[in-house]
Amino acid sequence: MLIEQLINGITLGSIYAIVALGFTLVFGVLGIINMAHGEIFMFGAFIGVVVTSTFKGPLWLAFLAAIAVTAAMGYLLERFALRPLRNKQGVSHLAPLISTIGVSILLENLSHHIFGPGNHPFRASFAEISFQIGSITVYLVQIVIFVISVLLMYALSFWLGKTKAGKALRATAENLETASLLGVDVKRTITMTVIIASAMGGIAGILVGMAFNSVTPQMGLSIGLKGLAIIILGGMGNVKGAMAGGLILGLAETFVVVYGDSGYKDAIAFAAIIIILLIRPQGLFGQKISA
Amino acid sequence: MLAELINPYYLQVASFILINIILGVSIYITLSTGQLSLANAGFMGIGAYTSALLTLNFDLPIIVGILAGTLLAGVFGILIGIPTLRLQGVYLAIVTLGFGEVIRVIFVNWESMTKGAVGLSGIPHMGRELLNTLKDFGFDPKILGLQNNQFVFLAIFLILLGVTISIITFFRRQNRSRVGRAFAAIKLDEKAAESMGINITYYKVLAFAQGALVAGFAGALFAHVLAYISPADFAYHRAVEILIFAVFGGSEVIWGPVFGALFLTVMPEVLRFISEYRYMIYGLIIIIMMAVRPQGLIDVNILNWVKLKTPKRRQKHGTSSQKSI
Repeated sequence: MLIEQLINGITLGSIYAIVALGFTLVFGVLGIINMAHGEIFMFGAFIGVVVTSTFKGPLWLAFLAAIAVTAAMGYLLERFALRPLRNKQGVSHLAPLISTIGVSILLENLSHHIFGPGNHPFRASFAEISFQIGSITVYLVQIVIFVISVLLMYALSFWLGKTKAGKALRATAENLETASLLGVDVKRTITMTVIIASAMGGIAGILVGMAFNSVTPQMGLSIGLKGLAIIILGGMGNVKGAMAGGLILGLAETFVVVYGDSGYKDAIAFAAIIIILLIRPQGLFGQKISA
Repeated sequence: MLAELINPYYLQVASFILINIILGVSIYITLSTGQLSLANAGFMGIGAYTSALLTLNFDLPIIVGILAGTLLAGVFGILIGIPTLRLQGVYLAIVTLGFGEVIRVIFVNWESMTKGAVGLSGIPHMGRELLNTLKDFGFDPKILGLQNNQFVFLAIFLILLGVTISIITFFRRQNRSRVGRAFAAIKLDEKAAESMGINITYYKVLAFAQGALVAGFAGALFAHVLAYISPADFAYHRAVEILIFAVFGGSEVIWGPVFGALFLTVMPEVLRFISEYRYMIYGLIIIIMMAVRPQGLIDVNILNWVKLKTPKRRQKHGTSSQKSI
C-alpha cells in the first residue's frame, strides 16, 4: 500500500516537475512568469486526445503533433505577447505577467470553443496493462510516464550544461546585456527558450492525459498554478529545484489524499507558496537572488 | 410614466455595473501604491460569505451582515498585507493569487458551513427585505406607481449608486490628501519615498487593507443583490476580471477602473452575440492593451484634455486638475 502510493506520488511528481521546468526556463531567461504555460500544456493534452481518439493515431504521433503545436504556440506567445513589451520605455515590470494572463484566458476559452467544455477521455492502448510485483500493482502507464519524464529532464540538463545553445541560454539568463555584448544572439535565444518551454508543456500535457485519463479545458489553470507553486518551492529559475519541487508536491498531494482530507489536496500547493515566500522567499534550493 | 421606464432587467445590469465599479476601485487602491494584488476576489468572497452566513444563520439585519463582512475582509487584508510587504512585483501577485485559491478551496471544502461547491442560496435579498420593512410601516410601492418588483430593483440600484458615489468621492479626496500623496510617492520610487520620511510599511498595509475592505464590501453587496453565491463566484476568473477593469480602463486615475468596469460589464449585455466570446475578447484586450497602451485607456493626459474641452468642469476643478493623479 505504502509503496504503491509512493509510486503514484512519484508518477504525479515527475509530471509536475516537467510542467514546472517550462515555467522555470522562461523565468530564468526572461524573468517573466508565464501564466499561459498551463494553457499551452492543456492544448498539448487536447492535441493528444484528438490524435489518439479522433484519428486513432499511435501515441508517438500524438507526442510529435503535440510538440509541434505547442512549439508553434510558444513562438506566437513570444512574438505577440512578450516581444512588443521588451525594450519599451516606461512599461511596468508587471506588464508581461498581465499580458500572459491575457493569453491564458484567450487560450482557455478558445479550447472551450474548439474542443467543447466536457471531460475528454484519453485512451492509451496500454492503459490497463499492469504488473504484479509481490503485492504491489504497477501500471505500465506509470512506468512510461516516469521514463519519459526522466529522459526529458536528463536531455534538458545535458542540453543546458553541455551544448553551445544551452550555454548561450544560461549566459542570457545570467545577464541579458552582457550576453548580447559577447555575441550571443539574445533575441533568438529568448524565442528558443519560450518554444522549448512550451514544447515541454505539450509533452507534459500528454503525460497528464495518460495519467488521469481525462482532459478538460480547466486543467490548464489548475496544473499551471501548481507548476507556479513548484518553481517557488524549488527556487525561481532553478532547474534542479523545479524537479525536486515537483516530486515533493506530487508525493505530498498523494499522501494527503491517502492519509488526510482529499478535498484539501489542491490547497497544499498554494499554502506551500504562501509559507515558502514568507519564510524563505528564494525557495528551498535557490540562492539569495536567482537569475 | 415612471413605471414604464423602469425595467428590472436594466436595473439589475446597472446594479452589477455598480458592484463591479466598487471592485475596480478596490484594485485601484492597491495599484496606486504600485502593488499588484490578485487577492481581491478572495476578499470579496470573505465579505460575501460572512455576510450571507450571518444573515442566514443568525437572522441579523442585512446591514449588520454587510458591515461584519466588510470588516472581516479588512482584517484579513491587514493579516495578509503585513507579511506580504516583503514581496514585490510578480512575487506579490503570485502570493495573493495563491491566497485567493486557498480561500476558494476552503469555501468548497468547509461543507458544514458553506455547503461546498453548491453554494449558499436563499440569502436575504436587499431590495425585498427593504420592501418588507417598508410595508410594515404601511408603505406601498403603488403610491409611486410602481410594481413591487420594480420597486425592489430600483431600491437596490439607488442604494448601490449612493454607495458607489460615496466610495469614489472618498478615494478622490484621499488622493489629494497626505495619504494619497504618500501612495503616489511610493508608487514612483519606494526608496526615495522612504528617504523623504514616508512610513512605507504603514502606507502599504493601509492601501492593502483599504483594498480588502472595499472588495469585501462589494462582495457582501453582491451576496445580497444576487441572493445566491458559490465558491466559483470568487475564483481565479473573478480575480482576473477585476484586474482587467484596471488594465483596460487604466490604473493611473480612479476613473480608469470605473470606466473599465462600466464598459466591460455593459459590452456583453449590449452585444448579446458577443457574450459567448466574452472571455476570449477579455484575453485579447489584455494582450493588445499591454502592447499598445500599458497605462490603460484613461490616463492623466486624457483626463486633462477632457477637462480642457469642458470649460464648466475645468472651472469647478480648476486648481486641482494637475494634481488629481
